[in-house]
Amino acid sequence: MYHELRKQGTSRMSVTAAMANSVVERAPPLLRVAGLAKRYGEQNALAAVSFDVRAGEVLGLIGPNGAGKTTLLEALAGLIPVEAGELMWRGAPSTERRDMMFYLPDGLRPWDDELVPRVLTFFAAVHGRTEREVAETVSSVGLAPVLRKRVHTLSKGYARRLMLALALLTPQPLLLMDEPFDGFDLRQTRDVMGLIRRVAASGRTLVLAIHQLADAERVCDRFVLLADGAVRGAGTLDELRGQTKLMAASLEDIFLALT
Amino acid sequence: MRSPDVIAVRRTPLRPLLVKELRGIVSGRALWTMLLIMCPIVGFSFFQAVSLYGEASASASDQAALASGLSPLDGVLVPTFGAFYVTVTLLFPFVAIRALGREKETGTLRLLVQLPYRTPTLIIAKAAAVAGAWLIALIPALSALLLWRMLGGHLHALETLNLLLGHLLYGLLIGAIALFAAAITESAATAAIVTLAVTIGSWMLDFALAGQPGLAEWVSRLSLTQTLRPFEQGLLSLGLVLGGLAAIVGFAELAALWLHPGVPLRAKLVRSLGCAAVTGALVLLMAQVRTTIDVTEDRRNSFPAADQRALAALRGPLVVTVHLAPEDPRYVDLRRNVLSKLERVLPNVTIRLVASQSFIGRSGDDSYGEVEYGYAGRIDKTRSTSHREILPLLYGLARVPIPTPIAGEDYPGYPLVTNAALVLPWFFGALPLLIALAWWLSRRAPRTPLPTCQGGES
Repeated sequence: MYHELRKQGTSRMSVTAAMANSVVERAPPLLRVAGLAKRYGEQNALAAVSFDVRAGEVLGLIGPNGAGKTTLLEALAGLIPVEAGELMWRGAPSTERRDMMFYLPDGLRPWDDELVPRVLTFFAAVHGRTEREVAETVSSVGLAPVLRKRVHTLSKGYARRLMLALALLTPQPLLLMDEPFDGFDLRQTRDVMGLIRRVAASGRTLVLAIHQLADAERVCDRFVLLADGAVRGAGTLDELRGQTKLMAASLEDIFLALT
Repeated sequence: MRSPDVIAVRRTPLRPLLVKELRGIVSGRALWTMLLIMCPIVGFSFFQAVSLYGEASASASDQAALASGLSPLDGVLVPTFGAFYVTVTLLFPFVAIRALGREKETGTLRLLVQLPYRTPTLIIAKAAAVAGAWLIALIPALSALLLWRMLGGHLHALETLNLLLGHLLYGLLIGAIALFAAAITESAATAAIVTLAVTIGSWMLDFALAGQPGLAEWVSRLSLTQTLRPFEQGLLSLGLVLGGLAAIVGFAELAALWLHPGVPLRAKLVRSLGCAAVTGALVLLMAQVRTTIDVTEDRRNSFPAADQRALAALRGPLVVTVHLAPEDPRYVDLRRNVLSKLERVLPNVTIRLVASQSFIGRSGDDSYGEVEYGYAGRIDKTRSTSHREILPLLYGLARVPIPTPIAGEDYPGYPLVTNAALVLPWFFGALPLLIALAWWLSRRAPRTPLPTCQGGES
């Protein structure tokens, strides 16, 4: 393969990258979701949802409110029972999901009567993190100003930062986050996006449920478009443009075209 | 940033979880409110008990026979812990429910179940925190015991520990039911209604059906309150302790089955049925364990020591046929004074109750009221309910001599005349203030260094 690419005049670095991509594409995805179905009474919350999550990527679950994003994340994390579906972890049927992924629900104020540092140190102690790692996490999410506060007194943004800090203290390779930018202003959203990119660069994989398409377009590598509990499209922005034949379209245009 | 690493569920330390659970209960208002309410209730009950005990002691001061009837277990401990029992029944469910209900209400449970702990471990940690809360709730009652000693009162260690064990079992049972209620309901309020329905319903069951014949009597035995009775009478019943533990573990296991939101309802129901069946079978099995130990200082649940030894040597089967209705006061006397003691001391005794109908309108039945004792092929009858007449009859049937009473084994009694009003400032002033102070201290931020570093973003 290397020689074929060299013959085509490709540079050494590009050849290496292409080979790496090829290996990644041939390797089983980190997580394969197949035929996930969930009903609430007569309503189809998830209708045979299937997609792949690749190691090290930031995957955006995109859809309007009520599209089934939260249901999908909770189903992936095993927090709600499903009617059908299968999860494959690195090509093998998944067993203990707690070893693989950690899910951060939207709008949660964990142990709201506790002091912020106590919640952090509890998570750190459970996962065997050092004080230095906790301090680094606090610094990276900007929690220092609220370390003397109780969780229920935190603003929405700081509560979100606390959740983010807890996620960073967990060791699971895959993080599932529901609306991670909700409650942040523009500057904070940019900071958190930077943080998420650094987390992905460190080797962790992230699946973000986002309803703000502009935010998703800026931070995600690939997208799964959801509407009415069904997958309407999946791929990188370029791949989605190809599918819709809207070559210069934004994610918003593509979403409207596919749903 | 850290690279992902492998998680080892089994190596996850338990201590952070236990600390978190205990802190969760201590940081809530429910525990402190219960303690503050408990102070005057337990305190007033103790004050009344000591006052009445003092009055009885004053009249018995120069009569040994009267003094021997003064036992601190009946006079002070049981009434004081009776008030503790009432508050545990009515208020402790709110404390225990908080251990799980708050996390369910706020959605934090969704984080908790993702931590590397097995679901039963989570419930065990919560149950341990509930047990810790019970120990904290014991403070007013324990302080009453301390005051009793300071006033010059007598405490028999075994009696006292046995009573505490009974209340511990009862408290843990209430706590386990509360955890189960919190696990099956979506809000703490609903869980409280479910738990109180069980505890108060059980209480009512005890009031309404105790002493009734037939099915009503059997149903009244299901009352949780019944678990305390033998302990209050100074009996350590192995079957009751094991049965109580089985029920506690059963409810905790049920709570664990219902804790995880990701398990389908059908699976939860099927597993719960299995768990309930196993628990029920275990409780019934434990109920067959008849081993009981009389831990009272006055040996009220046993015959005199000489008779105990002589009766323990009778190896043959004794058949007692009672011609009395179960609600007849004579049968109640006979059971308390003789039959229950015979059941404990004789290895092989069968009691038949042949007059199961109501005793009202039985005046025409000449045999009504007779109790027939059969041993070694010989039979004798009596209408007495006193061991002083029945035991010689038994010795006669067994052809063994009447044992000589052992000198010096009489219970002296512990009369105490004291000013009970001295305890009121403690329960109505000092102790509530100390509890309020402890509550305030528990709400303060720790002085430990905060987790910050100088390096900025990592």
